[in-house]
Amino acid sequence: MFKHFTEGIIKNNPVLVLMLGLCPTLAVSTTALDALGMGVAVIFVLVLSNITISALRKVIPEPIRIPVFIIIISTFVTIMDFTLHALSSELYGALGIFVPLVVVNCIILGRAEAFASKHGIFTSFLDGLGMGIGFTIIIFLMGAIREILGSGKIFGNIILGTTFAESPVIYMILPPGGFLVIAFLMGGLNWFQQRSK
Amino acid sequence: MKLRMILSLTIVCLLSAFLLSWVYKTTEPKIEKDKAGKLKIHLMETAFPDAFEYEVSTKDTTFWIAYDSLKKTIGKAKFEEIIPDTLWSVLDTLGEQIGIVFKVYPKGYGGPIETLVGLSMDTIITGIRPATPAEGLKETPGLGVKILEPWFKRQFIGKKEKEVLLKKDGGTLDAITASTKSSRAVANGAREGIERYKKYLRYQAIE
Repeated sequence: MFKHFTEGIIKNNPVLVLMLGLCPTLAVSTTALDALGMGVAVIFVLVLSNITISALRKVIPEPIRIPVFIIIISTFVTIMDFTLHALSSELYGALGIFVPLVVVNCIILGRAEAFASKHGIFTSFLDGLGMGIGFTIIIFLMGAIREILGSGKIFGNIILGTTFAESPVIYMILPPGGFLVIAFLMGGLNWFQQRSK
Repeated sequence: MKLRMILSLTIVCLLSAFLLSWVYKTTEPKIEKDKAGKLKIHLMETAFPDAFEYEVSTKDTTFWIAYDSLKKTIGKAKFEEIIPDTLWSVLDTLGEQIGIVFKVYPKGYGGPIETLVGLSMDTIITGIRPATPAEGLKETPGLGVKILEPWFKRQFIGKKEKEVLLKKDGGTLDAITASTKSSRAVANGAREGIERYKKYLRYQAIE
């Protein structure tokens, strides 16, 4: 049962192996902090939607499952948007722009369809958590690499010296840099997995 | 089967709608308060960033009455041409007007840059505040977004209309490296806003 949790982290990593959620991974990874925020928002919605969908899996008729999934997911996203804004205006200021993006993250619908609609509540919870963490690790790595090379900073603090921070590799925080980093991460994971075989 | 499909989709939608309206109702007062509080903080930051006690008023009726009558006399099109998009007046604690704050939407690299500009009564800039990415700024992260850096915003303070131009364009402002377009947008937006506000003052003087 525990393997459902670990699978999402490396073996079936949603971004690098299942190729889901590539859009937010490329778009929201220009700084490490933004990436982390997006990751946390996805974990929250993914876990809740997996639990709900798994609990309702026997009640939902097969042909209309997709619209039902979408309603459930967007309900959770909207609830999260409102609650976050009401609870902490600072956190909302930092995370607020990512919340609406979660609804179009195909990892969530993908896991609802491929896993939660076929498994029990607890395993679906583990799957959601594992997949969410797997996504967060990758997007955070992307954000950190792109921020270090593209702005010479990490979490807004200058590293690699001030000379580099004044003229960093701007290319890395522009869209092409995102594709480059994700290609290296995918290649790296494949290389690592083949070597360990 | 068909009936079951219709029923279950309806029930899910209804449940979702009820849940959402309940969450909305409970969070709305806090969210509204937060928005109003933030607007006030933003206006204060723009009006007199380091100054004494004062009040930013959104309900200054005399100001708005003057505004409305001007709109009627000169017509809507002309009015829009001379008045910055949104305007607040800044009052001191005695209720005397000591400045204004207006909002302009100059076109940047990724879309309009919502910018608050504060002016003293002699139309000298007291501060500017572009919206943050969370509030809808669409400039490139790590590049155009640097218009939010304090040194960039600070150089506007104390500038007159004619000085609000990038050094490249013959003015006094430093542009952000590799983000000339965003820097220029903010500078030109602020200057055009002042020009329009000055036109409004001239109209008012004629009346």
